[in-house]
Amino acid sequence: MTPLTAIWMKDFYVLRNLRRMLQRESVFKVTFISLFAVGMMGGFFAMFLSGFRFLSDMGGGGFMITHRLFALFFLGLGAMLLMSNVITSYSTIFKSRETLFLLTTPLDTRTLITYKFIESSLLSSWAFFFLMLPYTAAYAWHARLGLLFPVWTLLLAIPFVLLCGAIGTLIALTAVRWFPRSRILWAVIAGIVLVSTIYGIVQIRPVLDEDASFILNRLLPGLQLASHPLMPNNWVAEGIMALTNGQWTRGLLLWLVLLTNTAVLLLLVQWLGERTFYSAFQKEAGATDLRRRPAELLSWLDKSLVFLPHDIRGMVMKDIRSFLRDPMQWSQALIFFGLLAIYFSSFRSFHYNLMPDLWRNLIVFLNIFSVSSVICSLAARFVFPQLSLEGHSFWILGLAPTGMRRILLTKFFLSALAMVTVSAGLMGLAAWMLQAGWALTTLSVGLAIAVSLSAAALATGLGAIFIDLKQPNPVAIISGFGGTMNLVFTLGFMLSVIIPFGFIWHWHVTSGFCGLPFRQANLAATIWVVILSVTTITIPLWLGVRSLKHREY
Amino acid sequence: MITIKNLNKHFGAVQAVKDLSLSIPAGELFCFLGPNGAGKTTTIKMLTGLLRPDSGTIKIGGFDIQTQSVEAKRILGYIPDMPFLYEKLTPVEFLKFVAGLYNISRSDLNANIEATLHQFGLQEARNALIGELSHGMRQRLLYIGTFIHNPKVILIDEPLIGLDPHSIRMIKDLLRAKVREGMTILLTTHILALAQDIADRIGIISRGKLIALGKMSELQTQSGSNGTLEDIFLKLTSAA
Repeated sequence: MTPLTAIWMKDFYVLRNLRRMLQRESVFKVTFISLFAVGMMGGFFAMFLSGFRFLSDMGGGGFMITHRLFALFFLGLGAMLLMSNVITSYSTIFKSRETLFLLTTPLDTRTLITYKFIESSLLSSWAFFFLMLPYTAAYAWHARLGLLFPVWTLLLAIPFVLLCGAIGTLIALTAVRWFPRSRILWAVIAGIVLVSTIYGIVQIRPVLDEDASFILNRLLPGLQLASHPLMPNNWVAEGIMALTNGQWTRGLLLWLVLLTNTAVLLLLVQWLGERTFYSAFQKEAGATDLRRRPAELLSWLDKSLVFLPHDIRGMVMKDIRSFLRDPMQWSQALIFFGLLAIYFSSFRSFHYNLMPDLWRNLIVFLNIFSVSSVICSLAARFVFPQLSLEGHSFWILGLAPTGMRRILLTKFFLSALAMVTVSAGLMGLAAWMLQAGWALTTLSVGLAIAVSLSAAALATGLGAIFIDLKQPNPVAIISGFGGTMNLVFTLGFMLSVIIPFGFIWHWHVTSGFCGLPFRQANLAATIWVVILSVTTITIPLWLGVRSLKHREY
Repeated sequence: MITIKNLNKHFGAVQAVKDLSLSIPAGELFCFLGPNGAGKTTTIKMLTGLLRPDSGTIKIGGFDIQTQSVEAKRILGYIPDMPFLYEKLTPVEFLKFVAGLYNISRSDLNANIEATLHQFGLQEARNALIGELSHGMRQRLLYIGTFIHNPKVILIDEPLIGLDPHSIRMIKDLLRAKVREGMTILLTTHILALAQDIADRIGIISRGKLIALGKMSELQTQSGSNGTLEDIFLKLTSAA
């Protein structure tokens, strides 16, 4: 058996055992996650389908948009895939403990880098397929396409995923090999800002002519770039359509263009990996400069928090310092919120603020939904396991002359403060860029605050109830019964507070639902949100405190 | 079998290893001792090729670990202090995977695996996932995985962490038996009694520098003490 075969066999065993482990999981958890995933895909399908129908109703312009939307869709997914691959490649190639293990075996670098590249491409691509499936299904349904459409889509999507993965891996390899460790993140951020700026400049060019395609490009920024004949996303979109329409030669040509480019990039990954990976890994592993790290991080903040009681100040500073020294935590938060901030900041460049009320309303609620989703996932990922992750050092807190109530409330207030600041700021920015009006601005900021407070309380409270001090692995803590329950409640809360307002405001802009009934509906929904928020904040925290007080350690 | 020449390694301003030269012949069990932060783990990581030395050379069985790493790793086994194991594999699957990495023939593999699992008291756990095994069982599995390709050189960082007395005795007997068969073992430990018990030669490192080297009697001469290894260690490291 060759080493590469052994690795694939290992992955086969892992998959087989995952199925075995899944059978042992609670039925509630598996059912909930499956239903949620299917529900989300169904929701995306319905949304895409209604979008296609809306565009069809528009006539000629709508038809042109529909045709090009495919290319734009793959451009968006490709950009997401690329960014995701840069981060995943870095963590799977340089930060994974498996790499450390494999490096002590006689596995050659070429094999190792090929395996790690495929692993990171697979890990990054689930969201791509999760979004692509309902989109292409909606399009196939709408355009009454044949049964072979999904086959052509897969045929072109798989090399596209590998192509984006290869570019991401090349960026990660280059960054680690040639950039100092402390500056990699800044280099990535600078790269994103630079690309966004260039993209913005390209889009905001003066008007040169007024043909239909130019107007389309103004309406849907990115369309020009997405439809460029040298862009791989365009090969995918055009290839799928050509094969679906029976244009075999053109379809085959585009598929081969995509395939050969992917193959060249794969060779480049192997070539660069073979030459740079080993030395880059050793550089990364040996990069520790004790002089650079201050003995006391943020001492100025510690001094300025003198108004807090000493025990609370100690816990706050400990949590802030631990968070800042864990790049896995802050980099994920920075990427999620940073991307949203860049997206919201570009609303006026994309002329979203000039769109009709119906669309602006829709965008506001989609923004609330996206910010709330990120808040919920970050609360589940980082706030829920924080008490369990105190682990063996929990005795320090437990023996300190402070109460469990103070410990829990400190953790709640700190996480709530961080999440409220970021979510309310983002929603304020989005509403301002959309010129949304005071009522919609207040509503979106208010909902973001409610979701942040409740998500923080649920995660802190349930994290205390389901505390597991023996488990050092955060993923295992999150994926347990308590973690699932937290996710269920948080997402349930999010939907329960957003949907009523969504309906009210949708009727308001589509069916002329206004005046006193509109104001009364808003008041009723506000009371509902306040009651629900107070309940989801107080009950989990109260139960959490009770659980910590009665627990034996 | 292990040849280290003028090895140096810095982490920023801190020099973790200073001009280390050492030669360990085949069939020797060498113990590397030193206080915390002395440079033991750094040296072992450089021996495995996980860290690149600032200067100096390392040869394992005549192969340079930096320039002929694949050849060197074919004859090398490494047990780190905090080992990585695939939590979602069973012991049998893990051992077959490791055997595949070393391109070991599959003809006798199944019988060998079963016999070794039995020898290490893991036959009952053969179908369990590694994530479900106790610490001691995982350590024993790691030893089986490391010995599966019959390496000529073994590097062990803290070999007895978390093991019960039965397992400790088994590991000590196993290491001595392997050395008798001609295997070269370099291990680091803080358990001085273990070093005194099983080592052929002992090296003491302090602040990155090798301050004493030799058999027990030679260390006594070097330190000017007739006491135990503990006495010698404390005397030498506090003076350094």
